[in-house]
Amino acid sequence: MTDLLQLLFAGLSQGAIYALIAIGFVAIFAVSGVINLAQGEFAALAGLVAISARASGLPLPVAVVVAVATVAVVAVVMERLTIAPVKAMTTLVSLILTLGVSTALKALMLLVYGPNAEGLEAITPGIVTVAGVSIRYQDLWILLVAAVVSAAVYWFYDRTVTGKALRACAEQPVAARLVGISLGRASLISFLIAGIVGALAGVLSSPVYFTSWESGLALGLKGFVAATLGGLVSIRGAVLGGFVLGVLETLTAGYVSTGLRDAVAFLLLIVVLVVRPGGIFGRHAEARV
Amino acid sequence: MSLQVQGLHAGYGRLEVLHGVDLEVGTGELVAVIGANGAGKTTLLRALSGLLKVRDGTVLVNGTDVTGKGPEKLAASGLAHVPENRLVFPTLTVADNLLLGAYTRRRRPSAERDADRERALALFPRLADRLGQAAGTLSGGEQQMLAVARGLMARPTVLMLDEPSVGLAPRLVGEIFTALGVLRDDGLTLVLIEQNARAALAIADRGYVMDRGRVVFTGVPSELLGDARVQATYLGGDFSPAGGAGDGEPRPAGGSVAMEGG
Ligand SMILES: Nc1ncnc2c1ncn2[C@@H]1O[C@H](COP(=O)(O)OP(=O)(O)OP(=O)(O)O)[C@@H](O)[C@H]1O
Ligand SMILES: [Mg+2]
Repeated sequence: MTDLLQLLFAGLSQGAIYALIAIGFVAIFAVSGVINLAQGEFAALAGLVAISARASGLPLPVAVVVAVATVAVVAVVMERLTIAPVKAMTTLVSLILTLGVSTALKALMLLVYGPNAEGLEAITPGIVTVAGVSIRYQDLWILLVAAVVSAAVYWFYDRTVTGKALRACAEQPVAARLVGISLGRASLISFLIAGIVGALAGVLSSPVYFTSWESGLALGLKGFVAATLGGLVSIRGAVLGGFVLGVLETLTAGYVSTGLRDAVAFLLLIVVLVVRPGGIFGRHAEARV
Repeated sequence: MSLQVQGLHAGYGRLEVLHGVDLEVGTGELVAVIGANGAGKTTLLRALSGLLKVRDGTVLVNGTDVTGKGPEKLAASGLAHVPENRLVFPTLTVADNLLLGAYTRRRRPSAERDADRERALALFPRLADRLGQAAGTLSGGEQQMLAVARGLMARPTVLMLDEPSVGLAPRLVGEIFTALGVLRDDGLTLVLIEQNARAALAIADRGYVMDRGRVVFTGVPSELLGDARVQATYLGGDFSPAGGAGDGEPRPAGGSVAMEGG
């Protein structure tokens, strides 16, 4: 029982990271049909920038802000340089373009930060034991921040004029243009959101899972699977998908085999795409973002 | 003059659809544009609202040249386009659809936008009862009303509508056309594209007939209704079974709409 609780908790913490990355995929895909393969690199870059900012003597909160701001700028510049100029964007074209950006970012990170994996220092170091389950304080931070950020993103799309305008672009781009919403600006904002949530996932996960120039690959793939589980156009679905994936992974690693851990995501993805292409929670009429 | 269009050319890829369209709409006028399927009516509206590139010609709104601007700019400069098939935002509520209709005026005081919303809802009271409902769950007629109301929320100089009667029961068409008449009587300038030529000409001040990308006939409704060629080509299907040649009925007084059965 303790084992199960321990695994569940670890799974939720891991899932919270996937959820944040999945939100990034959904924010962009719903608005423009772009699948951003550099989403994982946003997380890796944020982790590395935060580590090096901390190493240069900045206090941790400042290092985190610097990292998130840097990635936000990278995301916006990426959108302007590679997405905005394309006249007839399709999902396939977007895969090629963003794969290019992902590769370039990886090379850049390797060049600047070297090949080693490092961990950012935890917000609160240490472990607390509750009912026999040992919990890292950092895991609590991960859950807290992921919950607050998910709620904030949901609120943004549900309540603000800009958020509603982004949903309008996702649902009826022609009508959105006719009421004066710029699809280009919508795409830019969606990249900004994706950059911020991806960066937060990166700085939060770094103390536990460490960060290197190639951490983005696994994070990006898992985040993408989580987003797909949730139907790829729903924030709520993405968050649920993240938690489902995180928990299933740790349960598999704990009860079956650690080696199968990474296979879970892809088995789940295949099953969902075959059985329920709209996502496990998806009704097709479900709100986009 | 609210809208002046001269020598407008537009098309899709290598296909030119509009071969030099001229159109003038006076302030406060309701102008109907009729024509057969494929005549280029929708293409004309798309070019006017900037969805489609203008290849040649000029478009003036209130005397200002707006040729070649994108839809975001044109929406802000007073052209509202209520598109074919309504295109409401389906998972957003009726209230949010209206809110986004006023997107170009989102920095205006909210009292001003609230007043506009009250006016739009007064025109379509059914929408007032459904403000919290997702637009995709409205009936076709209600969605059309919402699309018109959303267009009005931009406080346009010219409201352009693409076949608002399509697929609706005659009673609903009557409701919508009555609302358009009210808007015209309030001084709004309207461009109404219709297959339902008779219903459109019944409320219009003037009409244009389009054929294969050109304006082939223009005049006041009684002239259009009385013209033998126009009758034969564009009004035939709408005639009563008796055939009623020369049925050049003038516009009914008071702007009410005489609907034809099936
Ligand atoms: N997206 C498009 N791509 C290519 N050709 C198009 C496109 N849309 C319309 N056309 C062509 O342009 C011509 C005019 O079409 P348009 O939709 O403007 O006609 P319409 O007068 O609105 O007809 P309807 O009364 O059926 O709505 C048609 O020949 C049509 O096939
Ligand atoms: Mg049409």
